[in-house]
Amino acid sequence: VRVSFTLDGARVELEAPEEQTIAEALSHHGHRSVRETCRIGVCGACTILLDGEPVSGCLLLTAQADGRCVTTVEGLSAHDPVIRAFSRAHAFQCGWCTPGMILSVTAMLAEDPDPPRAKAARELGGNLCRCGCYSRILDAVELAAEELRSDAHR
Amino acid sequence: VSADPRARGAVSYSVDASMPGELHAALVRSPIAHGKVRSIDVSGLASDARVLLPQDVADLPAYGCQIADQRVLTDRARFVGDVVAAVVAPTPAAARAAAMSVSITYDELPAIFDVEKAAAEDAPLLHPHLTISANDAAYFGIRPVPETNICHRFRIRHGDVERGFEQAEVVVEGTFRTPSAAHVPMEPHATVARFTDSGRLEVITGTQTPFSMRMELAALFGMAEEDVRIVVPPMGGSFGAKTFTRQEAVVAALARKTGRPVKLVLDRAEEFLTLNRHPAVITVRIGASRTGELLAKSVVCWADTGAYADCGPGVVQKMGFAAPGPYRIPNCWVDAYAVYTNTPPNGAFRGYGQMQSAWASERAMDALAAKLDLSPLELRRRNVIADGDTYATGETMHDTCYRELLERAAAAVDYERDSRGKGIALIMKGMQTPSRAAIAIERDGDVYVVRCATTEMGQGARHALALLAAEQLGCDPSQIRVPDPDTDQVPYDTRTTSSRSTYMMGRALTVACEALLEDGRRGYGAIENVGGLDPDTGQGLASTHWHQAAAAAHLAVDEETGVCELHKLHCAVYAGRVVNRPAAELQTEGSMCMGLGSALFEALALDGGQVTNANLSDYNIPTAVDVATMTYELIERDGASIHGLGETALPPVPPAIGNALASLGLELDELPMTPERVLAARDQRSHSTEAEPPRAEEKVR
Repeated sequence: VRVSFTLDGARVELEAPEEQTIAEALSHHGHRSVRETCRIGVCGACTILLDGEPVSGCLLLTAQADGRCVTTVEGLSAHDPVIRAFSRAHAFQCGWCTPGMILSVTAMLAEDPDPPRAKAARELGGNLCRCGCYSRILDAVELAAEELRSDAHR
Repeated sequence: VSADPRARGAVSYSVDASMPGELHAALVRSPIAHGKVRSIDVSGLASDARVLLPQDVADLPAYGCQIADQRVLTDRARFVGDVVAAVVAPTPAAARAAAMSVSITYDELPAIFDVEKAAAEDAPLLHPHLTISANDAAYFGIRPVPETNICHRFRIRHGDVERGFEQAEVVVEGTFRTPSAAHVPMEPHATVARFTDSGRLEVITGTQTPFSMRMELAALFGMAEEDVRIVVPPMGGSFGAKTFTRQEAVVAALARKTGRPVKLVLDRAEEFLTLNRHPAVITVRIGASRTGELLAKSVVCWADTGAYADCGPGVVQKMGFAAPGPYRIPNCWVDAYAVYTNTPPNGAFRGYGQMQSAWASERAMDALAAKLDLSPLELRRRNVIADGDTYATGETMHDTCYRELLERAAAAVDYERDSRGKGIALIMKGMQTPSRAAIAIERDGDVYVVRCATTEMGQGARHALALLAAEQLGCDPSQIRVPDPDTDQVPYDTRTTSSRSTYMMGRALTVACEALLEDGRRGYGAIENVGGLDPDTGQGLASTHWHQAAAAAHLAVDEETGVCELHKLHCAVYAGRVVNRPAAELQTEGSMCMGLGSALFEALALDGGQVTNANLSDYNIPTAVDVATMTYELIERDGASIHGLGETALPPVPPAIGNALASLGLELDELPMTPERVLAARDQRSHSTEAEPPRAEEKVR
């Protein structure tokens, strides 16, 4: 099928097999940060933002992205507060799950600019980190939330 | 702070590696647990696919890091998932379809799944003839028991254990079980390999053991080690899963047959068939005086190494030599066995046998305390090992921290005030001994390039080395480059295992930095730690230093549902000296997190040898909600050497939680401590005539 969508701010048109997932499509497109891992929508490593909503890229067909807006971590600015917060908090080890985590946190903070730690932990239940960096990831959520709030006040 | 490449999704792992003109591989696996291949029908193979069959690799010898019991492709399947054939095609999808088109029939053989039954003399043999490997991973005196499925037995004979038990006034005995578990690295195993025009074999792969692999592949293909090149990009996690030779052998054999580069990425289900943790059945007997002085201990460990030994002999060796635990025990015997069964192979797994060993021994210590009517804390205080004491291996202990670890763990849960719902556990873990490390540094203007074989799997060892180098060379860490290991470029190192790299490579680095400062441009450093044990007596030097930790748990149990609510889980870990603070903390936290999974819910489910939960929906790993009550502390001492932290905080977590349950009268002897098992322990407690009625246990609403 012929599909066109906005990928990280740029318009993309491609011919996709009907059964192809958006994660596969992005990987073919050179977007390595979206990593199909469990292939059943459990681990969150292939998370993308679809019109701002976090979605498992392994469960979304490329065709379903038609006309929509897809964001990956590669489309965020280097000065993005969430990316900076993850770096400052050292919220990763192997780094495999990190892009998906960052996108989930981005969406979470858009909904709730100051989530309590326990709520943030629950909301990240769909993003697995086998290195077990969770408490620093939750630190990063707090750092990012703080920075986003102070940006909003400015 | 500039964004780390990990936060931009910009890390290049093995799955991202490619070689021009590569073909994609898929494996054809056995659906039965044990059987001879009768026929293979490849008539359905697509025209653009090619197949590799057992007869194509009949010229390649058996291999294996400790026992040469594996073939690149087997004509006798020994577990559900054993690799019988392999295919290549232009795309991964075409390769998977081609693998499905290969049809294999088998003559089934009797299969055996229980470790104790497999060890019996009349059990069907998986490997009738065992050859000890020539690989340098088989360094410690492997002792197969002929005509059995036991591929290694290790013993400790320290003192006179019979006399010790005669003297003992109180004796406890228990059998404790742990299941298999999966490493679940987020990045699957991935390899790309080719034979070059000049006949060299080049392999890009995620592995913790590049030089062991180079040695193994060279022997396999009859090549000089110099003609094999292993390049190791960062791994998306490993935890022991990516050790020794795995899919690399078949990928190289496919490259040899097709004359093309070949790439293979395992799928998630295959990860559960590739390498797992040893299930173990461990019987512990401890004898003490009335006052709680330990007099004798005997431990028998049965570790299930699956269908191939892999490093199972090494795992049981370490499971065995840590079995005495960090206590003074004058009489101690240990018998530890690695046994074949028709299940997926088990090998290195974070903790390397210590979790299984500590689960049994530390649970038994609390049972002993109960029988002595002594606090488990006090029992440990009276026996904990200290500098100058002799360990069961005959070695004199040094640089120990157990008294402090014990007190800190106890204090973290206010154990002395009220020990109900609380448990503590101590562990000791050896570091690879003997082993070697070497490193080279070159100065190029303002930049220093560090060349070493230490691999990166998220643990941050290479950043730790950069920090150490910067400190010793008097420069900024940003001036230090540590390229990915490439066996063509880096000096020999034993491997990136057993939490050894910051300590061992760090010492080699110190030598290299001194040499560079003298020379101005180049420096090289090599060190060796010497030791080892007699496999028949367990006497010698087990470890040049010990990784030491204590854990404390405080929990409440909902006795209607069996669900444990952790109020606190604390680990005190002896670091000696912390080099890279964030990484040291992350490794500790990650170890605790994995220990928590093992304690409460992680287990590989097997039915007739078939893994029935080979996906991340049925096999659960900890999530962000599980860490809320975790705390830890890293203990440093002036002038102390660096102690590795990659695994230390994992093994004490399950027994600390088990002991917390035992403090409520809920005696569990098998992991994981699922709600079902907690409820069974509750029923057992109420049926037990001996047990006192439970004291006011805490309850969650």
